[in-house]
Amino acid sequence: MNIQSKPTLTPAEQGLIDAFVAKVSDLPGDAELTAHRDRLIAQLTETGLPSRRIEAWHYTDLRTLLKSVPGPQPAGAADALPPIAPNALILPLLQGTHVQPAAADGLTCTSLQERLLAGGASETLQPLGRDDAIGMINSAFVTDGYVMSLDSEAELAPILELQAVQDGGQAHGRFEFEANAASRATILERHARSGDSAGLTSSVSVLKLAENADLTWIILQDRGADDVHLGQLRAELAEGARLRLFVINTGGHLVRQEVVVKVEGEGAHFDLRAINLLAGQGHTDVTLSIDHSAPHTTSEEVVRNVVLDRARGVFQGQIRVAREAQKTDAQMACNTLLLTDEGEFDAKPELEIFADDVICAHGATVIDLDPAHLFYLTARGISEKVARQLLINGFVDELLDELDNEELADVLKRRVEDWLDRHV
Amino acid sequence: MPAVQETIDQVRQIDVDQYKYGFETIIETDKAPKGLSEDIIRFISAKKQEPEWMLEWRLAAYRRWLTMEEPSWARVDYPQIDFQDLYYYSAPKTAAGPKTLDEVDPELLATYEKLGIPLREQEMLAGVQQSKIAVDAVFDSVSVVTTFKEELKKAGVIFMSISEALREHPELVRKYIGSVVPTSDNFYATLNSAVFTDGSFVYVPKGVRCPMELSTYFRINDQNTGQFERTLIICEEGAYVSYLEGCTAPQRDENQLHAAVVELVALDDAEIKYSTVQNWYPGDKEGKGGIYNFVTKRGDCRGRNSKISWTQVETGSAITWKYPSCILRGDNSRGEFYSIAVSNGHQQIDSGTKMLHLGKNTSSRIISKGISAGQSNNTYRGQVSAHRKAANARNFTQCDSLLIGDRCGAHTVPYIEAKNASAQFEHEATTSKISDDQLFYCLARGIPEEEAIALIVNGFVKDVIQQLPMEFAVEAQKLIGISLEGSVG
Repeated sequence: MNIQSKPTLTPAEQGLIDAFVAKVSDLPGDAELTAHRDRLIAQLTETGLPSRRIEAWHYTDLRTLLKSVPGPQPAGAADALPPIAPNALILPLLQGTHVQPAAADGLTCTSLQERLLAGGASETLQPLGRDDAIGMINSAFVTDGYVMSLDSEAELAPILELQAVQDGGQAHGRFEFEANAASRATILERHARSGDSAGLTSSVSVLKLAENADLTWIILQDRGADDVHLGQLRAELAEGARLRLFVINTGGHLVRQEVVVKVEGEGAHFDLRAINLLAGQGHTDVTLSIDHSAPHTTSEEVVRNVVLDRARGVFQGQIRVAREAQKTDAQMACNTLLLTDEGEFDAKPELEIFADDVICAHGATVIDLDPAHLFYLTARGISEKVARQLLINGFVDELLDELDNEELADVLKRRVEDWLDRHV
Repeated sequence: MPAVQETIDQVRQIDVDQYKYGFETIIETDKAPKGLSEDIIRFISAKKQEPEWMLEWRLAAYRRWLTMEEPSWARVDYPQIDFQDLYYYSAPKTAAGPKTLDEVDPELLATYEKLGIPLREQEMLAGVQQSKIAVDAVFDSVSVVTTFKEELKKAGVIFMSISEALREHPELVRKYIGSVVPTSDNFYATLNSAVFTDGSFVYVPKGVRCPMELSTYFRINDQNTGQFERTLIICEEGAYVSYLEGCTAPQRDENQLHAAVVELVALDDAEIKYSTVQNWYPGDKEGKGGIYNFVTKRGDCRGRNSKISWTQVETGSAITWKYPSCILRGDNSRGEFYSIAVSNGHQQIDSGTKMLHLGKNTSSRIISKGISAGQSNNTYRGQVSAHRKAANARNFTQCDSLLIGDRCGAHTVPYIEAKNASAQFEHEATTSKISDDQLFYCLARGIPEEEAIALIVNGFVKDVIQQLPMEFAVEAQKLIGISLEGSVG
């Protein structure tokens, strides 16, 4: 049936609108920004949250899945956590509010709040089109975050750990990072939970990589089992730039992590390694969109998913190759271990190709553990539980080997092992 | 990979301007007035002397259609269709119901002769090399002739136009029509349910292996005529049938609409093989004219161990919107989809398949080769899903795309949905990569990589071609005539 009518507001949509009404006078920004926020909320009121009828949200029907939203106020104060990255420089965003901009050689950092208050910020707070619900919610509600810039040729020695910690309520933060020409850095964007209350987060990270910049960005989303996390990472890559993105999802009740990459400069390279560990009744969606618009660009994505219990996982990956982007090499793989009959995994890898001299491929598999492998291990006296953990660990763990920083890789691997210990 | 010169030349040879079926047959026709209304539907139903329930069924579909909106999710772009500006019924004027071929208008026979479709049984029988094929020829809105009826009758196979079937076997039609593609299914299927004018009906009784290939040729001739045919094929327990379908239309400047529905039902241990060579007029070099082909094809593997196989070679139509699907309901049932889709000029293809695994131990296989040239866009859109209870569902999908020139587009949009742990799905879409296992197998035996890849890809193309019955395979090869070797990285 194709009957379309204006939707009546769901409790979650109404909750967002109420939260906006309650918070609007406290949201930082000038009159222009307030008007911009008003327009975005008016649009939400009119179109509602995206449903499965919107192609980009086909498997994550926010109208149905987002039953309600917590009120805007947090349940308690969130504290900064000890860093997990060795020798890290921490930038905490507690309950969506900055603490104090840190400094390091070559890195300048200000709070986003400062920029919002300075005026003229509405141009930078734009959703990526009509269906971009995350961009819309974040732009309407964003209160704070960090704006960072790394000097040309600078190499940031410590790992920068961006810590978004939340205890209930709502938090809408934003990180902007500009890597100037030939700069290098490793950044860990960590989303964690403190306290016992369920919370809603929207988080947008905006990355700009100038010529030959080399950035490793890790998103570690480890929120509570009843939290809602709506994340988005946007990146633009100039000539010769290189972005290595790692996404690790180990928590959350309803998670959507979008990655929108524009490979715009000749010779630029993007790659993604994603590990999604899903258990309980969670719903985790990783949606990726890569635009190759310059020749000789490359991208390579490997997504590994483990689905337990009644969890549902989604991967959507779209690679677009424009006419000008000849000699593009784009490869994408999505492999899933679906380990229960109650779980579900949906994959939609997409290729959209307009250039004729390219190598593009995608592969997707969904399988259970191989009984022969299990037998091999159990025949050697290893308990089935440990055997399963070993096999699953082997399946995801190798992606972390590609991280240049061994110490950090070890820390992340331990977190994966801990998760397996708790859930398998 | 850029296409090799040989491939480019061959594509040029089958360029849209070379369309050789573009002639028009001047023939007197019996038409209903333009436009669509309940009266037109009553008119069609009365013309066909249909039972009352059929009219009600059509009217219910029409009322539902009025509430529906045209789908917009496919990657095709065309101006709004004015559904009131079409003729919904057009039939060659002949004496009612030709008994033998001699009563058929000679103009019509000449048309089919031009198309190279042998309607005359005696010629067929005389021909030494040709095997026997029973043909149902559909001209605009009505089926003009069905051959070999008597011989099929002896085997117990019913092969006739659906209008005839509605008169002679209403209970069979009533039992199965709309049971695979319900009237509410989608915009075009609902429209078809309301206004379909003819099509083929095949019933193969229990345990019968249909003694010959069955074939239908569809021809749109009249101007501004929409063709809405409905095909229903039922294979009883243990039966087998192979069915072929071919389509052509004259060259015209305006677009013509074709919205067909095909329903297949395979019961226990039955097998249906459905092959299509679709060569509707694709429009000229500037993208003027051509057929809008909006087709709903679905097979229901209702019984245990049943099998449905779709093979299609798509070279025509300005717009193709078509997803031959299999509902794998019976335990151990199997669905197959083999497709070669060639787009050129301004053609737009959005085609693929759906494999819905519902029963236990069901398996499916999808092999799709898309070749786009000119300024065309060629999209593969496929869905593979395993229901919670579909234990041990297996799917293998491979989509290869080849682009020739830098003004065309090739797209792949698979939807993979697994809802139980024992499902095993593999999907590959690539222009350079082949299953590592196969490659390894060849390499381990000393075959160089390039040769190994060529070997495997050639094998796959042959797979699609070989799925076609002999007569169609020759026609298809002529139509495509394209080496897929350029697709190997």
